[in-house]
Amino acid sequence: MLFRRSQFDRDLEEEMRLHRELREQEQLEAGVAPEEARYAAHRRFGNDLVLREESREMWGWNWLENTLQDVRYGFRMLVKNPGFTTVAVLTLALGIGANTAIFSVVNAVLLRPLPYPRPGEIVQVNLAWKGGGVNDALTVPEFVFYRDHASAFQAMAGFRGGPDLSIKRDGASEWTSSLRVTDGFFRVLGVAPALGRGILREETRPGGAQSAVLSDSLWQKAFGADPAVIGRQVEMGDASYTVVGVMPPHFTFVGQPADVFVPLQLGRSIADTGMNTRVIARLKPEISLAQAQANISVVFDQLRQAGSAQSGQQGLQLVSYQRWLAGNLRSSLLMLFGAVCLLLLIACANVASLIMARAKARQREISIRLALGAERWRLLRQFLVESLLIALIGGAAGLLAAGWALKGLVSSIPWDIPSTTHIGLDGSVLAFTFLVGLATSLAFGFTSYWQTSRLDPNAALKEGSMQGGRSTARSRARSALVIGEVALSLMLLVGAGLLIESLHRLHRQKLGFDPQQVFTMVTPFAPAAKLNAPQVWNFEQQVLGRIKAVPGLTSAAVVTLPPLMGPNNLPTQHEGHHEDSIGGMEYRAISPEYFQTMRIPILQGRGFQETDTASSTPVVVVSETVARAWWKGKNPIGDRLVVGEYDGRQFPEVLEPPREVVGVVGDVKNLAIYEREPTSIYVPASQLFRPPHSTAWVVRASSNPALGAELRRAVTVVNPDQRVLDLQSMSDVVARAVAHPAFDALLMGIFAALALALTSVGIYGVLSFHVARRTQEIGIRMALGAKRGNVLLMVVGQGAFLAAVGIGIGLVGALALSRFLASLLFGVQATDPVTYALVSVTLLAVALAASYIPARRATRVDPMVALRYE
Amino acid sequence: MHQDEIPPGTLYLLILRTLARGGEMHGYEIANSIQHVSEDVLRVEEGSLYPALQRMLIQSWVTAKWGTTAGNRRARYYRLTATGRKQLEAEVSQFDRVMQAITRVIQTA
Repeated sequence: MLFRRSQFDRDLEEEMRLHRELREQEQLEAGVAPEEARYAAHRRFGNDLVLREESREMWGWNWLENTLQDVRYGFRMLVKNPGFTTVAVLTLALGIGANTAIFSVVNAVLLRPLPYPRPGEIVQVNLAWKGGGVNDALTVPEFVFYRDHASAFQAMAGFRGGPDLSIKRDGASEWTSSLRVTDGFFRVLGVAPALGRGILREETRPGGAQSAVLSDSLWQKAFGADPAVIGRQVEMGDASYTVVGVMPPHFTFVGQPADVFVPLQLGRSIADTGMNTRVIARLKPEISLAQAQANISVVFDQLRQAGSAQSGQQGLQLVSYQRWLAGNLRSSLLMLFGAVCLLLLIACANVASLIMARAKARQREISIRLALGAERWRLLRQFLVESLLIALIGGAAGLLAAGWALKGLVSSIPWDIPSTTHIGLDGSVLAFTFLVGLATSLAFGFTSYWQTSRLDPNAALKEGSMQGGRSTARSRARSALVIGEVALSLMLLVGAGLLIESLHRLHRQKLGFDPQQVFTMVTPFAPAAKLNAPQVWNFEQQVLGRIKAVPGLTSAAVVTLPPLMGPNNLPTQHEGHHEDSIGGMEYRAISPEYFQTMRIPILQGRGFQETDTASSTPVVVVSETVARAWWKGKNPIGDRLVVGEYDGRQFPEVLEPPREVVGVVGDVKNLAIYEREPTSIYVPASQLFRPPHSTAWVVRASSNPALGAELRRAVTVVNPDQRVLDLQSMSDVVARAVAHPAFDALLMGIFAALALALTSVGIYGVLSFHVARRTQEIGIRMALGAKRGNVLLMVVGQGAFLAAVGIGIGLVGALALSRFLASLLFGVQATDPVTYALVSVTLLAVALAASYIPARRATRVDPMVALRYE
Repeated sequence: MHQDEIPPGTLYLLILRTLARGGEMHGYEIANSIQHVSEDVLRVEEGSLYPALQRMLIQSWVTAKWGTTAGNRRARYYRLTATGRKQLEAEVSQFDRVMQAITRVIQTA
């Protein structure tokens, strides 16, 4: 019917024409004059066109044709008002684009399920401490106990990052990442190897076979997808592995991507009794998280009764793995998403205000149409279509902008998102954008309805309708919109202000060392090299000697791990005092120059010297907080502490002979920048009892582009096969540590600035409207002697009033919502009065500035012109 | 000659009955037949006829086909379908029921 409409029309016309002519014939035969006959026939038929339309309407396609007509008309209207269209579309594009961009990230990180079967069953297993802390890693004995005794799980597996392995291929070495896992690992994820098998229980016992499961991409790249690789002995790193399996294509472990999976041998290395093994598990299908948590508590009681639980523990905490991976991203992302929603609301308010402004101009058009017999419903539908068009165009533009901005955004995200997460404009994002566009257009449609329903054609058609009562209602609505915008802007500004202040405080945190001019380089040891501690120290001494020969260095030292580059903790206890013990005390082995290189102050006693050797008394230097907590103002020097002992129990794998405290140094944020009470101890690298996994070099030097190469050479001269990681500056390391809050603050700041800009435009628009409306009144006032200053004050005062009310409402809103921000803040309260005050003043100032321009225009009104203005 | 208007709701009934009697007719013939058989009492307004015919086409009570008149002109001929016949029966019995009820009310003293 739709497409053969013209055919339908023609047929109907022909049919009716015949009927009419026959009628005419009849009249003629009855003796009526020819002219009269024709008129009579026509009269009987009535209005031809209406008849045809009615007939066509029977078929019910009318609404579609009318809508198409509305669309065409709407387009024409938009094109004829380029100013309005541009501003409206740009404003909407801004709001919708920002929303789409942030939602893409939210979708990829928070909403998209893990790429494993029934991902809801996978949980992260954490240690919970009394007092609320949580550790994401367990000790090996605890892991084994829970694995063997908890009944709520199909499978439980532990894993630890493995060393990077080099695979020699055609003479060249390629480094590949590895992960050490226990036998249940692939069962927990629910993905079986495509070729061969996974890890076996026997292989996780000390001395077990060195098997390896490869990723599909590694298999393709390094082994040419050869199926005979199963069972083959392969040299990876410096050890020989038997390849036992290959994973299916596209498989990846989201928590820590790796290309090679090797057995985690439980009970072998000194890391085992520290809390260094991460654990994931898969719930049995019929068991809920709450039930599993209850089951775990029972097992924990068993563990406690057996005397194997660490004191201060409250048990295990189970968290859905997906939620765990999103981690503290969750708060940041939700906050940013909330912010862009507010921004979108402000943008919509601006566009609604624009539409209302235009309504006045179209009053005449609307009145004429109503007078000609158009139904109100038809007009409303027209406005709805126009709003829809604006929303669609704005949405499309926003989508484009978001796509383009997303690339830059993703590359600068400092959060620990699994690198396999793909953030982009996928199906869900497009659906979301569409919904947002639809919602905004419905919101505008409401505005239009509000316009037309109150329209009285008579009043509108009369001249001088400027002063009609309708405008008051409309201007009140626009004022309300502006107040709303100001309130929302204030909330965004408060959020940004708090985050920026928080970042500022973080930066001012005392690191405990001076990162300026300090560079660091890490050299990981290959496990197969099987170096013992004296060999490591020997190596370190030789390299250090060569490093000191590099020109331009002020000082150089060795340390197992520089600050802010990862955890390295061991149970430690004050000798003879059970209550003074820490399950995971940060532990660093250093050369004597370390404190000097890092400018860490020695507060009591001494640092280390050449005389602290493997054969002299084992010594230790503690940090300030440890001294204060354990010795409480008494002198710790001469007292002893024991590494490997905790709460009176000893951990043989890491137990060291007691060490004598010889000094106290200032606190250093070794673990994380937001640590409030960092606890660390230092031992001489010459007095290590067990070889470390890796070591690092720190040098204080003037910047020298060749520094990296020269330091690397110092290492490879001593051992050509030693792997050396890239040189980094400590300032970069510190910057990375605050990258997350910095990013949050930056984005929030951008959104707040955009909101401020939009709001200023809104205020400007409303006040211009007011001024225009009251031009006559202003002219009269000035003719009667009002000074320019009074007029200025009147207009600016109006702006100030709007802003003040908006700020008031905004403050209430900000106070109510800001507590959701609390988890992201550091060192500043969510209700910090200084921030609130500063922000309010700023907003007021901007509002006044925006009011000034229309105010000035008001003062330049010529009374004579104004009096004649209508 | 004063003509009464067709009572609302009975137009379909009249058209269906006309087609049942006449077989294949075009619009003019249908209108004329009603006027003639009712002895000029009922006159169909062309304004109601054609929309009604379209409605009946949609409901599949009639089908239409282009043909040629006696005077060699092209015209659209309508004929009743089986569904239309059933509809006719339904409308006739409904009409009877209503008429009897009205008559009873009028005749009661």
